[in-house]
Amino acid sequence: MSQAVRQPELLAVEKDRPILRAQAIKRTFRMGQEVTVVLKHVDLTLRKGEFVAIEGRSGSGKSTLLHILGTLDEADSGTIEFNGQDLSRLTGGERSQIRNTQFGFVFQFYHLLPELNVTENTLLAPMIEYSWLGFRKRQHQLKERAKEILSELGLEHRLRHKVTVLSGGERQRVAIARALMNSPQILFADEPTGNLDAETGRQIMGVLEKLHREQGQTIVLVTHDRSLARQADRVLVLRDGKLEKPGESNNAESPATLNYR
Amino acid sequence: MYKLHLIIKYLRKRRIAWWSLLAVTLCTTMVLVVISVMGGWLTMFEHSFQGLTGDIVVECKDDSLVGFPYYQEMIDKMLARPGIEAAVPTIHTFGIINIGNIATAGVQVMGLPIDQIGKVNRFPDSLYLQHTSYIDRAKEAKDPAEKQKLLEEAQQHAEHPTFQLPLSPQRYREAMNWSPGKGTDPARRPGMIVGSAVVGIHRDPTGQTVGREPLMYEVPVKLTTIAIRPGESTVDLKDKSESVYWIADDSHTGLWQYDNAFVYVPFDQLQNDLLMTASSYTDAVTGRQVEEPARTSDIHVRVKPGFDLQAAKEQVQQVVNGVMNEHLRTGGRFWLSPQVETWREKQRVWIDAISNEKLLTVILFSIISVVAIFLVFCIFYMIVMEKTKDIGIIKSVGATSTGVAGIFLGYGLAIGLVGSLLGLLCSYLIVHYINELHAELGKLFGIQIWNPEVYLFDKIPNTMSWRDIGIIVPIAVVSSVLGALLPAIRAARMHPVESLRWE
Repeated sequence: MSQAVRQPELLAVEKDRPILRAQAIKRTFRMGQEVTVVLKHVDLTLRKGEFVAIEGRSGSGKSTLLHILGTLDEADSGTIEFNGQDLSRLTGGERSQIRNTQFGFVFQFYHLLPELNVTENTLLAPMIEYSWLGFRKRQHQLKERAKEILSELGLEHRLRHKVTVLSGGERQRVAIARALMNSPQILFADEPTGNLDAETGRQIMGVLEKLHREQGQTIVLVTHDRSLARQADRVLVLRDGKLEKPGESNNAESPATLNYR
Repeated sequence: MYKLHLIIKYLRKRRIAWWSLLAVTLCTTMVLVVISVMGGWLTMFEHSFQGLTGDIVVECKDDSLVGFPYYQEMIDKMLARPGIEAAVPTIHTFGIINIGNIATAGVQVMGLPIDQIGKVNRFPDSLYLQHTSYIDRAKEAKDPAEKQKLLEEAQQHAEHPTFQLPLSPQRYREAMNWSPGKGTDPARRPGMIVGSAVVGIHRDPTGQTVGREPLMYEVPVKLTTIAIRPGESTVDLKDKSESVYWIADDSHTGLWQYDNAFVYVPFDQLQNDLLMTASSYTDAVTGRQVEEPARTSDIHVRVKPGFDLQAAKEQVQQVVNGVMNEHLRTGGRFWLSPQVETWREKQRVWIDAISNEKLLTVILFSIISVVAIFLVFCIFYMIVMEKTKDIGIIKSVGATSTGVAGIFLGYGLAIGLVGSLLGLLCSYLIVHYINELHAELGKLFGIQIWNPEVYLFDKIPNTMSWRDIGIIVPIAVVSSVLGALLPAIRAARMHPVESLRWE
């Protein structure tokens, strides 16, 4: 709640600050002799508090781009800076730490751990962050935060339930709760409604919108659904391995440049 | 924190891993039971043999039925040495017993000074009437005071064993229909202690001791032995001796080759029967009077507690050599010098054989246990494949590759710990109740796996050694971790994106 009160002031001060800057990102995949260039030359600047949607056809490389931005994958060339820090120079452990404390992920297929219940799945990031002793010291506070987030997402009656008994929409909300647990600077959402029916998908998008509007959460959404993409502040299209603004013709020679509203 | 949390969850929920738990449990159980039984067998063997001989034995191996002389002089000089606590002579020969004209058997005969033998070994503890029967009654006594009294009596008898006849003189006279004037009073015959199995006392397949009949004390036992004169190459049948005894007690040492073959008689009696007492005769050639010293077959020596055994052996060897050389020098007859051995050297062949058998069995079962490592590997490999998506999820939330490897190594460690502890419990129960289990097998199926004639003891060893546990349990734990190692490395190397996309 305090974060929501603070947010308008922050936006005013930090709106111009780039939080993530990707330059000349290239990614290819090799299958034996065959080489597929998925990302040819991608530039992207993300500002704090933005809600950016990356739209594209299936197989256009949207998820690949999202994974690279979120340090789940590495580009063949190019640079990514997060808060001024070059991520390509970091070790695997340092990138893992950034994913744990600064980023949150929401995937199309939820990707929850089936042996854990709703609360335990939500607490996964702090369980990774802290040692056994560190977690035990903060346990009460962390569980309270998890409970608060889950309640805000309408899951207060499901705290001890196994995730396997939840509906798709409920599971996606647990995934969102997990992603928010460590107060990430960027929330990466990869086709979050792709496995849900239309109504549930709208509900999930409503959750993301609310997070952005009320708490100023920076969100990068990847989707093939144009109508969903339009709910973001800014929409980019990934076509032929490059990012473009919607309606811009495909120009393989020039890199995409981006304006923000 | 997440590693421990996931390990506990996986341990409880992933039932396929319970098979690897079972493998570790069974292998730990198997190896511990084998080591305990084989090791216990060796320990029982060493303990029993040490209990039946002195710490050091002086024996004329090459002329054992003739024996050697000057033994009392040797004993007196040994006792003057700092490391020697006690020394007792015994005579050892072969004979035939006829038990009441009912049974006849070839036996090994030992003549021992029973009032002294307890100073050098634990033979008195093997006696039934004079020791073990009191212990048995004490176990069944409910009153603590009575229990204590019986234990004290057992101790007292063990300290002062005898060949005393257990029945009243009248009973023996009635058994032989004797009346005064009808020859030697049968009540004055000496007592004999028999090996328990010689008179048919044994454990049946159910583990019960059977065959100890009261009648055996009323049946005369005729012992036939033959004297071997020193320096003679033939046996003279005139030197045959037949003596009649009553059974005074039976000895159960637990060592089959003793209980099945030995009878024990008073030292003086046997020495007399075997013409091993001091004597003199006139040399037919020279006409001179020749003194023949008394002879014995062995001297059993007890070393003082804490004194080095090899040093004590050297002291004994010096005494023996000194006495023999002294008498040779002063014109005595040439005798083969007796050899001095520690009890372990004397039983070297048996001890080495059993040690080697133990080592071989342990090696074979350990090789079989390597199978457990492969089973853990296969199961963990399957689990890692199954958990590929979960690995991607955990990595996406920020777990490092090392952390992911740690989950599966920790899982392997948990399997190893739980499995080895369960194996320890199972092996303890099996070893502790092994004789009862063996008896049950005998009751149910009539089979006797542990044959005392083969394994020398009538009870299967049933104790575990902390040293063995301290070696086997950690090995089981390490083996389980080793089995999980390659799958853990595979899990660590998984690319998070590929893992998330795994179908």
